[in-house]
Amino acid sequence: MDVTVTVNGRAYERDVEPRKLLIHFLRDDLDLTGSHVGCDTGNCGACSVILDGVLVKSCMLLAVQANGASIETVEGLAEDGELTPLQQAFNEHHALQCGYCTPGMLMSATALLRESPSPSEDEIKKALQGNICRCTGYWNIVEAVKSVAK
Amino acid sequence: MLLREVEYEKPGSVAEALELLAANDGARALAGGQTLINVMKARAASPDMLVDLNGLEELRGIELAADGTLTIGAMTTYSELMRSAEAKARPILGEVCATIADVQVRNRGTIGGNVCSNDPTNHLPPLMVAVGARMTIAGASGEREVSAEEFFLGVYLTAVGPGELLTRIAIPAGKKDGFAAVTLGADGTCICNAAASVNGAVRVALGCVDAVPVLVTAESPEGVADAVRAASLAPPSDVHASSEYRTHLAAVLAARAAQEAAAR
Amino acid sequence: MTETVVAPAPVEIQKGWGGQSVRRKEDKRLLQGEGVFVDDVKRHGMGYLHFVRSPYAHAHITRVDVSAAEAIDGVYGTLTGEEVAALTEPFFQISSVPGANVKDYSLAVGKVRYVGEPVVAVVAETRELARDASELVEVDYEPLPAVVDARKAQDAEAPVLHDDAGGNLMWSGLYSWGDLDTAFAEADRVVKIPELHFHRFNSTPLECDGALVEYNRGVGQWTIHTNNQFPGFAAIMMGPAMKVGLDKLRFVTQDIGGGFGNKITSHPQLVVCCLLSRKLNRPVQWTEWRTDFHLSMSHGNERWFHDTEVAVKNDGTLLGFRTKALDDAGAWLRYEPLGGVIWAQVTPGMYRWRHIELEFTQVATNKAPVSPNRGYSRMQHLWFTERVIDIVAHELGLDPVEVRKRNYVRAEEMPYETPNGCVYDSGDYAAMLDLALELVGYDSMDARRAQAEERGRLLGVGIGSTLDSGTNNFGQSRLINPELQFSGNNEVATVKLDIFGEIVVTLGTTPQGQGHETTAAQVVADILNCAVDDVHVRAGHDSYWNSHAGFSGTYASQFAVTGLGAVKGATEMLAAEIKKLAGAVFGGVPPEALELADGGVRIKESPDAFLPFMACGAIVNANNAGLPEDLDVTLNCRYVYRPPFEVPDVERKFGNLTLTYAVQIHVAVVEVDPETGAYEIVDYAAVDDCGKRINPQIVEGQVMGATAQAIGAAIHEVYEYDEDGNLLTPNFYDYHVPHALDMPPLATGATESPSPFTPLGTKGMGEGGGAGIHAICAAIQDATGKVVTDSHNPYQRVWRLLQEASAT
Repeated sequence: MDVTVTVNGRAYERDVEPRKLLIHFLRDDLDLTGSHVGCDTGNCGACSVILDGVLVKSCMLLAVQANGASIETVEGLAEDGELTPLQQAFNEHHALQCGYCTPGMLMSATALLRESPSPSEDEIKKALQGNICRCTGYWNIVEAVKSVAK
Repeated sequence: MLLREVEYEKPGSVAEALELLAANDGARALAGGQTLINVMKARAASPDMLVDLNGLEELRGIELAADGTLTIGAMTTYSELMRSAEAKARPILGEVCATIADVQVRNRGTIGGNVCSNDPTNHLPPLMVAVGARMTIAGASGEREVSAEEFFLGVYLTAVGPGELLTRIAIPAGKKDGFAAVTLGADGTCICNAAASVNGAVRVALGCVDAVPVLVTAESPEGVADAVRAASLAPPSDVHASSEYRTHLAAVLAARAAQEAAAR
Repeated sequence: MTETVVAPAPVEIQKGWGGQSVRRKEDKRLLQGEGVFVDDVKRHGMGYLHFVRSPYAHAHITRVDVSAAEAIDGVYGTLTGEEVAALTEPFFQISSVPGANVKDYSLAVGKVRYVGEPVVAVVAETRELARDASELVEVDYEPLPAVVDARKAQDAEAPVLHDDAGGNLMWSGLYSWGDLDTAFAEADRVVKIPELHFHRFNSTPLECDGALVEYNRGVGQWTIHTNNQFPGFAAIMMGPAMKVGLDKLRFVTQDIGGGFGNKITSHPQLVVCCLLSRKLNRPVQWTEWRTDFHLSMSHGNERWFHDTEVAVKNDGTLLGFRTKALDDAGAWLRYEPLGGVIWAQVTPGMYRWRHIELEFTQVATNKAPVSPNRGYSRMQHLWFTERVIDIVAHELGLDPVEVRKRNYVRAEEMPYETPNGCVYDSGDYAAMLDLALELVGYDSMDARRAQAEERGRLLGVGIGSTLDSGTNNFGQSRLINPELQFSGNNEVATVKLDIFGEIVVTLGTTPQGQGHETTAAQVVADILNCAVDDVHVRAGHDSYWNSHAGFSGTYASQFAVTGLGAVKGATEMLAAEIKKLAGAVFGGVPPEALELADGGVRIKESPDAFLPFMACGAIVNANNAGLPEDLDVTLNCRYVYRPPFEVPDVERKFGNLTLTYAVQIHVAVVEVDPETGAYEIVDYAAVDDCGKRINPQIVEGQVMGATAQAIGAAIHEVYEYDEDGNLLTPNFYDYHVPHALDMPPLATGATESPSPFTPLGTKGMGEGGGAGIHAICAAIQDATGKVVTDSHNPYQRVWRLLQEASAT
């Protein structure tokens, strides 16, 4: 089936099997390997992207379901290698260690801050509840997001 | 992790969706996908065709009637319900939805999907039974309405038959509701749950203890624990809870849900 | 000497880079999704591999037929156990007899021994097709009864996994030091603990294992892109099995999504990839999915402690103990039975008792093979000693804080030689405990307890003190098998000045988030007196860089000692060479008269005489005519750090097994809902001492991560099997790891007791020794008043504890 998507502002057109998961389409077909796979039951959130303005786990969507959609992934956050304030905050607060969950965390935090520019600590944790991290224990990630809250 | 081959259709109307479901034995409705896609990843079920309901506006929306009845489109997502001004007429709905999994799941997962998958650990089946919801099912021969108590038939099994779709859920007016659960971590899968509603007497629907929600009634919240014990539950044992522990939790949570409902 | 710093330490403007929380170099690429993890690597024409795995815990394989799978268009080929047995030797066994007789191949040969064991490998054009084709592989099994309880594995009627070993006993050893008879005679009381159980779980790194293997037919060499965290070990295992020299196995890693020890034993799967890339003449790609990982990879050691007897005085002084440790290795040994000696790095735990006897038995069961998991084997033993402390305190009616302080090794006794000859290098345990208690507000605990009771909750406070022993002496393997020829340890670093004066560092390690690029750069910058940004550290590990040695890798809490020790050594070599070169260029100026500064080298007394690094690099590389003939300078310095170890005394099982001992003391405060057994951690403090901290923020990050994993293991995480050997928690749906909302408020503290034994005064850290598990068990015991005997306490178990009648 034909799929046309815009990812980080760029249009792509591919022919894919209906069974192909969106995360595999992004990683394998479009070579956007920033979004990751960490589980097979939709629990870990490493695959989180923003689709038509809504935060979703791309492992629970078929690529064909994204036909016509506009998708944002981690690769679209920084412009010309210039880290966003959120990304810089992650660096300052040591909110990443191995970096595998980080793209998903950034997309979840980005979605949160768009909807709620001044979230409380509890709201931040709630917003990140769908993103598993095994390295940091989350404390520094929450601090990083808090630090860019207005 | 990798699905079997499947055909995919995206109908433009409920009628078209019903036709596709009726014409294809191995077709299944795709709602939020937050359960079905995972089932397909595990290859525990592999439909031949997915009928994507996500484009059907007819199945979305929440209406509040003058008599306080809330009508919720089956494809309403948890997030949409939580944001809905109308749904605040029955606050327990948004409150319970807010405890389901995480924001990504809530952005795609639907009220209808939760109810139709009828996993014994789901939140909404016992809640729908407690509040006395009525489900509208559409099929080739038109629409029919089924009470929540009659809707849930078995594990993963509801009154929605082949070639049919749940289109909307009607919830009567009320505010004295409660919900209590012990979960696997914060906002995690329920190990045991109970939904209560007080309207004179107390209705408590227990989840996680049987194939379908178990309805128990009592005169007052104080009598709920005994009513649960009298129900002679025989819940399954699994890695998270023995049958004995689940039975014990059911009585405790039922009483707590009932007390919360009465206190509103 | 210790210096107390309550964390987090603010970034100070000071003269050195060491000790500063320098922002990580790794982050820029990782934050932009530009890290290179193994599944990101692609090669033209690569085939995707899927394993057909056993559905049975124990069964004979009676028939394998791949013809239907191979007939599918787009399927490139398969590999069976029969082929593997023909092409490879069984993997080398660390164990002495009987474990030595186990024949371990990279696919099941003749028999399957755990659910999920790889039986056949299928390679196809797409991931989905490989998965589809695997369903067409026909395997006939004759099921056998399974044994899943280690306590039953040696029963006469127990099913035997490895006939070659003659039974399920894999290894056993008796450790005995001091004089137990005298200790028990002098005791006022003997506290008896019939059974303690440390459960099976692991760290579930978010990225699972994986590889992309290419075979260069012309030179007979494999390039193995992988995320294996101990390539030295993998090479030693794979080379002899594949009957090739180790230089034919090139390991390349860049970014690794967490390891925690769980990425050490992927060598069987890597062998399969190698064989297939050669057989099919194309690159072979393998991605392990979450369920595959849970079923088959690196479960942590499950260990029982039976018939424990503790000799105590009425005032709580501990004299000694004896116990029988029963360790469940699962179906294959792989890195085991090293767990059978590694616990002995911390034989007495943190305590001064001198009379200890431990009978260690390791058995095979029809479960996933065990391999190192964060805190490997020391965590189990330290949990045991902490339980003993709290159970003794409980029985004697003493305060657990006082019993600990009475029995802790004292600061003035450091360096302290333990009963089996290990040397605890430094640390003030009592002071750390005080700091942890202060951070958690221990003085107000009675009031909090009363307040919780008003809300219908039982409050409990628990201490978990633990050691993170680091930098192994691999000579301890001889206590497992005296015929092994391993000893000592090493790590390598190469630091060079390039032709344009770029400082380039090549590590031998395989970091999975520990910030090696950053801390290495800090050490280099301090020695060369330049900026951290001027130091370029290559990302990852590549055996072609020839900057590694036999034990290279990232495991066992040692980088700050071995890795940074190598970096220090190489940089000092380079600094000396720069001065030698400059001295010659300046016409014969001795090195003492020179200093490195401002990106170059200059004469101290006349700083105008300045040679920038760029000039140094250019002269040696491209402009070296006229240099003195005896000038021995390359500006490309490779250094092998070797910790000072002796081969242990195998007879007495005595000797120093690890170089450093970082310390963590945690305090957990829980509130239990007595009606449901559900509980919440309402407060938590973690105090760490890992000697000199090169980057305090990175150290704290490790402490936090270890805390979170321990909390997960204590409450929810378990690999539980039913009696038929089916894993009941094979994915993240049932195996619940902590999410953001599960985290308690956390206060961290740090002290610095430099190690007298290491190049920088640092100690390895990172594993954390499971302090959170120890603390939560203690807190539950305090809250419920009931003795906790299991490391895993889900709500159901706490509820059952509360139903127990109170002991007399």
